[in-house]
Amino acid sequence: MSMRVNNLTVTFADKVLADVAGLTFERGRPVTIVGESGSGKSLLAHAIMGTLPASLTARGSLHMDGTTYDLEDRTNRRSLWGRTMSLLPQEPVLALDPTMRTREQVAEGAGTFRTDKRAALHTATTLLGSLGLGPAAGAFPHTLSGGMAQRVAFAAATIGNARVLIADEPSKGLDERARAELASLLQRHVDGGGILITITHDLDLARELGGDVLVMKNAHIVETGPAAAVLQNPAHPYTRRLLAAEPANWNHSWTRGGASIETTGDPLITADGLTKTYGRQRLFSGLSLSVHQGERVSLSGPSGSGKTTLGNVLLRLLPPDSGRVHHADELRGGRLQKLYQDPALAFAPGAALRHSFGDVIRRHRLDPARLEEFMASLRLSPALLERMPGQVSGGELQRLAIIRSMLLEPALVFADEPTSRLDLITQEETITSLMNQVERHGCALMLVTHDRTLADAVTRRRVRLGVDAGSEATLTTPALKTPA
Amino acid sequence: MNTSFTATSPGTAVRASAVQLMATTLLAMLVLFAVVGPLVWPDHASQDLSRFLQAPSLAEPLGRDHLGRSVIARLAHATQLSLLMAVLCVATALLAGTLAGILAAWRGGWIDTVLHGLSEAFIALPALLVVLIFSAIANGDLWTLYLGLAMAQWVEYFRMVRARSGVLLAGPAVEAAGMLKLGTVHIIRRHLWPELRPLLTAMATFGIGSSILALSTLGFVGVGVRPPTPELGLMITEAFPYYHEAPWMSLAPVLILTTILTGLLSLRSKEAHR
Repeated sequence: MSMRVNNLTVTFADKVLADVAGLTFERGRPVTIVGESGSGKSLLAHAIMGTLPASLTARGSLHMDGTTYDLEDRTNRRSLWGRTMSLLPQEPVLALDPTMRTREQVAEGAGTFRTDKRAALHTATTLLGSLGLGPAAGAFPHTLSGGMAQRVAFAAATIGNARVLIADEPSKGLDERARAELASLLQRHVDGGGILITITHDLDLARELGGDVLVMKNAHIVETGPAAAVLQNPAHPYTRRLLAAEPANWNHSWTRGGASIETTGDPLITADGLTKTYGRQRLFSGLSLSVHQGERVSLSGPSGSGKTTLGNVLLRLLPPDSGRVHHADELRGGRLQKLYQDPALAFAPGAALRHSFGDVIRRHRLDPARLEEFMASLRLSPALLERMPGQVSGGELQRLAIIRSMLLEPALVFADEPTSRLDLITQEETITSLMNQVERHGCALMLVTHDRTLADAVTRRRVRLGVDAGSEATLTTPALKTPA
Repeated sequence: MNTSFTATSPGTAVRASAVQLMATTLLAMLVLFAVVGPLVWPDHASQDLSRFLQAPSLAEPLGRDHLGRSVIARLAHATQLSLLMAVLCVATALLAGTLAGILAAWRGGWIDTVLHGLSEAFIALPALLVVLIFSAIANGDLWTLYLGLAMAQWVEYFRMVRARSGVLLAGPAVEAAGMLKLGTVHIIRRHLWPELRPLLTAMATFGIGSSILALSTLGFVGVGVRPPTPELGLMITEAFPYYHEAPWMSLAPVLILTTILTGLLSLRSKEAHR
């Protein structure tokens, strides 16, 4: 069996959002679609599935098992959902029903659910067990980690034995270990003779999956070929640009820079014997750490290892269970700033950006021209300030957040996963903006990230928090002194 | 990626529907009656027993009551009293509840415990009972009714504001404002107020309606405003014995009450649930 798509277009009003002449998907050969946000890769998948929003129009045809489906009719593929085609949604934590236990919601997808509920529940239990989720079968989704939720969503998507699996940004928000697990799950589907279409901006996932890679830009496919070939020797300039945007390939004046650890002078932040426990889980204990002027330190580790918590303790936003944190006088008066993972949450949602920035300028009696200068140097249009935070794209808003923090000439900026929700090219742009400002003002930087290559590219010193099942947090940096 | 293509929203400007337009007109007419009426018919107290239950005429559009007093004059004064009291009570309850709610959410600790405990005590008592207790203490003076109604109502504003502000104040946006040292005024003005405003206006419109109703209920059962002060509930009670002879006397205050309440309820637009 194979699946073929002919002359697919997706339009909104008169604007073409995706335009693909023909694509063939073979069993056992995964296809990965890569490209930046807004390139139309997600729309392509939803057009095939028949799950586009009603305001978009799809045209073209889909051939499968000797049947032809008109893509314009969004209802003709409904009978295929779950049995023949299924979708692994973005951000499974949000896609799972918070009021249902995992076993029950996975069982709903089983073919026998309507006729024999007990058999469906049994199938769900077996499937969850084979995914290593046996103990979590009776749990509610909010108690699961991101990786576990992803596996539950995978179970729900595959329990109906659908041959065509479409995965939409499946690795978003996952750390390295969870991503490797995800890749092997997807691989399992392919090995079982399934068709796999993965949409991602994560090139590492594309490499792990192998098969064919399609590169999309501005609604069109610009390059296609076997993963190894396309991702090793790209032919199209855009693919080369995409590869160059991977942190491991960065080459900027600021890469791996910053003051060295031997810096003399008083540290900006001194932490001594910090311990923090959440419920039964001990995040870190007896942790001591200091950050000096102009240093660049990264906090890395898998999700759930307490990176953000440690950051908040160091910023004195959260009290430690024991130990103490001392801030130098240089950090007073707003000279310690924080950047957030989701910048949309870091601005007052009901106020136009002009007001949010105006308040900072008035409060600290800054020169309004500074803002214009920053906007120009970060290539942001002044018209953006008239909008509400929710009306600006993630990358632009994060750059605005960088400007907001830099207005006060901070001595230290704490960036909590500032780019983990952005695609590669936007990530590079955003980090470049941040690092140019950091370099210009000579301020210290603490970067929280679960991306090892990003940490390597930006910082010279790394603090690793790691939680192995059951054991307590470990620190693997020579620069840290852990008291006996 | 997909959400940006959903149907375009009409923007922030709320287009008034035909129902809302009608409700506004009705309410505006009532307010006009309450403001101008007492000036046109200033004398609501003088009795003329020879004109006992006089039928409506051009000079007296609603006739005269069992004591020969002008019904339209009494109605105008009663409407003015009801609206004034309701607005005053709601304004007081809203101000007190909002300030206490923000204070409790912001400071936490013992302030929150005390205020929350107090609100719980008020919730345990039926609202009318609170008003009754207050009016019993001072024998039905106007100011005790005002205090009682405000006391019965501040709790809902307090609890709503406390719950909503608690979430907002703990969020990253306020945390960022704190790191930027933007101060209390900025946080209230830019973070709390835009979120609380639609909820507060919705609650206040309902609050005005229920205050007017509570006031007339108290008058109707005879523990509210004392005669001879004209009050809608009291007027209904006084007119009931003469319903067969002069039905307009009891229907007029009922009509005023119904108009105020339906007007206030129809003002609510769908924009409240976003």
